[in-house]
Amino acid sequence: MIKKFLSLEWKQFFRASYFQKGIAIKILLILGAIYFGGIAILLGGGMFFIFKKTMPEIDPIITVNNFLVYWILFELMIRFFMQQLPVMNIKPLMIIPIKRSTVIHYLLGKTTISFFNFISLFLFLPFSIVLIAKGYPIANVVFWFLSLMCITLILNFLNFLINKSNTVFYILVPLFLALIGLEYYDIYKISEPIGVVFNALYNNPIFILIPLAGLIGIYYTNFKFIRKGFYLDDAVSKKVKEVNATDLSWMNRFGSIAPFLKNDVKMISRNARPKQVLMMSFFFLFYGLFFFTQSVYIEEMPYLLAFAAMFITGGFLLSFGQLVPSWDSEYYKLLMSQNIPYRQYLESKWYLMVVAVTVSFILSTPYIYFGWDIYLMIAAGALFNIGLNTFITLFGGALNRVPIELNTKAKAFSNTNGFNPTQLLIALPKMLLPILIFLIPYLFISFNAGLIALALTGALGIVFKNFFLNKIERIYQKGKYKTIAAFSEKK
Amino acid sequence: MITVSNLSKSYNNVQVLNLESLDIPKGQSFGLVGNNGAGKTTFFSLLLDLIQPSSGFIKNKEVLVNESEDWKPFTSSFIDESFLIGYLTAEEYFYFIGELRGQNPSDVDKLLSQFSDFFHDEILGKKKYLRDLSKGNQKKAGIVAALIGNPEVIILDEPFANLDPTTQIRLKQILKDLAQKQGVTVLVSSHDLMHVTDVCERIVVLEKGEMVKDLATSEATLKELEEHFTG
Repeated sequence: MIKKFLSLEWKQFFRASYFQKGIAIKILLILGAIYFGGIAILLGGGMFFIFKKTMPEIDPIITVNNFLVYWILFELMIRFFMQQLPVMNIKPLMIIPIKRSTVIHYLLGKTTISFFNFISLFLFLPFSIVLIAKGYPIANVVFWFLSLMCITLILNFLNFLINKSNTVFYILVPLFLALIGLEYYDIYKISEPIGVVFNALYNNPIFILIPLAGLIGIYYTNFKFIRKGFYLDDAVSKKVKEVNATDLSWMNRFGSIAPFLKNDVKMISRNARPKQVLMMSFFFLFYGLFFFTQSVYIEEMPYLLAFAAMFITGGFLLSFGQLVPSWDSEYYKLLMSQNIPYRQYLESKWYLMVVAVTVSFILSTPYIYFGWDIYLMIAAGALFNIGLNTFITLFGGALNRVPIELNTKAKAFSNTNGFNPTQLLIALPKMLLPILIFLIPYLFISFNAGLIALALTGALGIVFKNFFLNKIERIYQKGKYKTIAAFSEKK
Repeated sequence: MITVSNLSKSYNNVQVLNLESLDIPKGQSFGLVGNNGAGKTTFFSLLLDLIQPSSGFIKNKEVLVNESEDWKPFTSSFIDESFLIGYLTAEEYFYFIGELRGQNPSDVDKLLSQFSDFFHDEILGKKKYLRDLSKGNQKKAGIVAALIGNPEVIILDEPFANLDPTTQIRLKQILKDLAQKQGVTVLVSSHDLMHVTDVCERIVVLEKGEMVKDLATSEATLKELEEHFTG
């Protein structure tokens, strides 16, 4: 039976339209997987030596144990964000004489070969090997490693139980940030008590029974959960939530593009995928923290700050904007045959991005803490985003013909919806241009000249808005039939 | 109202539609029948400029469909579910279409009030997104949306499929009224010969993309069609 499932799975994978689409995507995906896998292996192998060097007085295994709690929380967050229970095509299997429990065991078993589980494996396996090579007791290391794998799987299954509600996520993120904050400012180190637990796990191989029991317990819970929902109206069909309609009539002041804007707001707030993107673009706001906390960047490479400044306010623009016509792919035929000039459609998307950049800019006010220079830089970056990046993004959208399933979360490496190499090419100028525009006047004149150049380019873009929109409209018009055909392709 | 001239469409050198000439006068209720793959949906898609003709052209009220967008204000259509916006409730969807066609919500409400028996209390005020409605109810919403904004041409692909009998009967009445009383040009395709003969004054039979029959509906039409399809 399992063999038959596997062959179904195989066909599903290789016959999926995205897989047949293009060799380029395949190569990119494989490269991506190799890249992340490689980084994990390198990091895992090097971890021992890094810790040995930076903290020679502490045994690396203890350091690792201390920080495991963060790894676990982080992993849980990533999983929550990206991993979905593969509901395999249960429906056709329900009426076929296969034991339900077989199907469920298979379903759960399948999740163990998820990409996310391999990250842990790739990280901790080389580390364990290094430990053994360095003469650490084999039994301890092996059981410690196995315990970690159990914990990874526990996270794997836990995710499916908590995945249903967003509340968990909203608790998890602040908790994670708070713990890091407390640790960083030496107020309370959660890593110590939890480190003790993991050290105990390392010192007493017998303790592996605890994570093992946990794993069995959570597997069983998952099993029962799916078993209970193994009916058409539960597991297979999605829950129908009652709608709470929001009154958006205040948006009517936007005139002829108001209906589109209202529609976009509803689209974002009522579908899983755009919500995910919105959440992601919120994280972009914190991007500056990487750069502005390091004096290296401020003193020696301020042109990279231009990049960071663009990123802070451009999260939504970059992640939502690049998929512009795709968001409407499910009902594109309607839009194309309704009484809608293309121009209005594009303009409404432009305004949406402008609003998003403005909101991000307002939210980025706390960056004043890093000084007015930085804040002005962010302002210039925002202007650049509004004035130029919006148009580059819309232009890129014209080349993007991959349909999106609105109400399904994007999955890591198993779903290339709305992703193609052209997008990558288009993304380059969006990121490199601000650096260039800032760098040249900065090198020849001054920091402020760089700022002014950046802001001025943005302002010019706004002045020439109609020109740009006309050009973009023509490109969209030209690709119309191709886009319609691509969007109506079955997934 | 609609003039078709030398229209053809091929995919990879396989011709799927070839209409030498076809004239549909204003206010005619026009029916299109044919087996799967006969080219019905292809014709409608060409009419809505969703695909490009390989040769020839369609004029909708003297507007060249594949060159100008000016036919959009007076033409409305429902082809399939991709004409629905799944994350809107039925009301929101109707108002959205209304806004696009220059109708304010009260205009839309007035129109909708005529369809309360059509909706059977299953569509309006249900607090459900369109994507969560049943196929039949989705179809009803799509058809009614195509009536918003006083269009002069209405194009419906298989409007009777998936509908319950009560609604089918009601829909036939609505379509007849539109053509006869309001002078709307109604284009309908269907697999159900009985329904088409009931609704349409004129019926065209397509076969492998070619027009094989062009009938003015009379008592004998249903019989003739049945014989044709029995082969």
